[in-house]
Amino acid sequence: MARVNNWQLGREMSYWYPEERPNKQFAAVFDINKCIACQTCTLACKTTWTSGKGQEYMLWNNVETKPYGFYPLSWDLKLLEMLDGQEWSEDGGRYEGRTIFESAPAGERVLGWRPEDEDYSYPNVGEDDCAGQVDGGASIQMPHMAWFYYLARICNHCTYPACLSACPRGSIYKRPEDGIVLVDQGRCRGYQECVRGCPYKKVFYNAMTGTSEKCIGCFPKIEQGLQPQCFVNCIGKIRLAGWISKPGEERPDNPIDYLVRIKKIALPLFPQFGLEPNVYYIPPIHVPTSFTRQMFGPGVDAAIEAYKAAGAEGDDDLTGLLGLFGSTEEVLARWKRSGDTITGYNDKGEEAVSVPLREPVSIRPSYDKLYQITRVNCP
Amino acid sequence: MKKTIPKIVLLAFAILVAYASCGGRTVSLSEVVVVPDQQITLDPTDGAWYAHPYHPAKLILQDMVEPRLLEPSTVEVEVTAMTDGKQIAFRLEWVDDSQNDLPGPQAFIDGCAIQLPTEESVSIPAPQMGEEHKAVDIAFWRADWQAIVDGRADEITSIYPNATVDHYPFDAESLKKDPDAKRRMEQRYAPARRLGNNRSGPRKVPVEDLRAEGPGTLSPAKTVSTGKGVRTEKGWSVVISRPVPGFLSKEKSSNIAFAIWQGANRETGARKMRTGWIPLVIRGAENE
Repeated sequence: MARVNNWQLGREMSYWYPEERPNKQFAAVFDINKCIACQTCTLACKTTWTSGKGQEYMLWNNVETKPYGFYPLSWDLKLLEMLDGQEWSEDGGRYEGRTIFESAPAGERVLGWRPEDEDYSYPNVGEDDCAGQVDGGASIQMPHMAWFYYLARICNHCTYPACLSACPRGSIYKRPEDGIVLVDQGRCRGYQECVRGCPYKKVFYNAMTGTSEKCIGCFPKIEQGLQPQCFVNCIGKIRLAGWISKPGEERPDNPIDYLVRIKKIALPLFPQFGLEPNVYYIPPIHVPTSFTRQMFGPGVDAAIEAYKAAGAEGDDDLTGLLGLFGSTEEVLARWKRSGDTITGYNDKGEEAVSVPLREPVSIRPSYDKLYQITRVNCP
Repeated sequence: MKKTIPKIVLLAFAILVAYASCGGRTVSLSEVVVVPDQQITLDPTDGAWYAHPYHPAKLILQDMVEPRLLEPSTVEVEVTAMTDGKQIAFRLEWVDDSQNDLPGPQAFIDGCAIQLPTEESVSIPAPQMGEEHKAVDIAFWRADWQAIVDGRADEITSIYPNATVDHYPFDAESLKKDPDAKRRMEQRYAPARRLGNNRSGPRKVPVEDLRAEGPGTLSPAKTVSTGKGVRTEKGWSVVISRPVPGFLSKEKSSNIAFAIWQGANRETGARKMRTGWIPLVIRGAENE
């Protein structure tokens, strides 16, 4: 085991291989508050990549309802139960518990488990099921007394992938040019060690090809400067793809850096597992943070405050940047606000898109004087 | 003073007795004896196998490299061998209560393998998959490949009989008149097959040839081996046949190692029961 720096934990940790960050790291921000679980992302991925024999059950992208939805069943609960003490320091800056690499039992490279066949049989389990209880006299308040939220998930293309670490024959690799994690389909021998190792359960065994397969980050599109299928087909415009800088090299004009490292409103999924995942979530504002703190780490309360303040207190930079989500098919490497216009730039530094700080809003009077009728204004 | 019989005498006596008779078959405790025969057979149930001595190879845990197997499963494999001068065939028989030949998530396959030094590394490589510059040749049999060779359809319904699939893109009406286009479309969704991964796709033989220079280095090799496996009352009986290596003759012995995977115990890859090197000799021709 080597010692590597995990900035999400605020400390070094043990990992199977030495630290070797890619030249560029694919990263994404998902705004949970905007997801309506329409599953368009799921279908966009499914029809593009996993329509073959043996791939029937695979959802490289899925959207599950939290707290009772999972794909596969209980993917997060099982590991959380296996992982002892997940405490953070009082100021939240340092993870004091052990990661799945540091908790690896004798004879194993990581702490993990493999889903059974049946665990993949209920992709919509818990859909729209509420947590909490509404008693007599209850009213809507923040956070909500009864709540659920939608968690859209893809491979996190982790800096320290557990799948890569668990593979005993080096069939999984992380591309130096973009940090995308891939299974070498020519080399894989289907041992399913990666399925066992990935805590997010985003590697799937294909019984027909005898190999394991996973989200490829739509790398043929990324190579052309385009965002993945699940991003550009998202009708809620909850996703933004880009690049996250190496720790200490963050730039405010990099949209991912700005949201993740500077404003800190987007947080990793289960950072305590230790993989340094590169999909970041703006946490749901209506959910009790006693729940989301375990899922997104100790930065949840501050992230929600900053997110809410963007609109309420006129943080035009943050508000404007959020407007770039879903505005273009191109990967945005840089951004800039000039007055009421927000501009996104591609990898070549060319303007990819410009959006207004706030979309113009016009409200039609309910009474139409011309035709002398009353209309209902639907949003 | 108490008289003691020298240990060496006791050992020789034990071997003699064991060799003489063991359930009607002769047993060779210390080495795998390859018996020359007019003709070798791939049929594990052929009576010819019972005319030759077998070696009860004790299996040990693969606990040298992660992921390790920490709980023992199969304890022994009985090995019988014969050669016709060109091919050398090994019959491996072991106890396995359950037949595991259907792949799937968290479903693992029964299998066995033989390992020999390569022509270039006869100076005994490390028994655990060889070592750098001292490669080993491995012939690997799997129960699911055997089922496919025996006629199981290459369809998802072979694994999940109740599966229904609305549509595969390669079953489109427009592709029915163009088999090449259909095949290309099929391979788009099966990159392992497109890349010719030996592990993937329909098979003609249930045995795969591999070469390794240490744990984690297993690579495909030219197909030279064949074989056949059948279920027995006790478990599996498998014949693996390959060309006689150039370094093995009546005058020159070599070494061999075996490995067994029990699917029910979720054994796969490095999680296996294995032997160390066992002496391999050609001895006792039919007409000698």
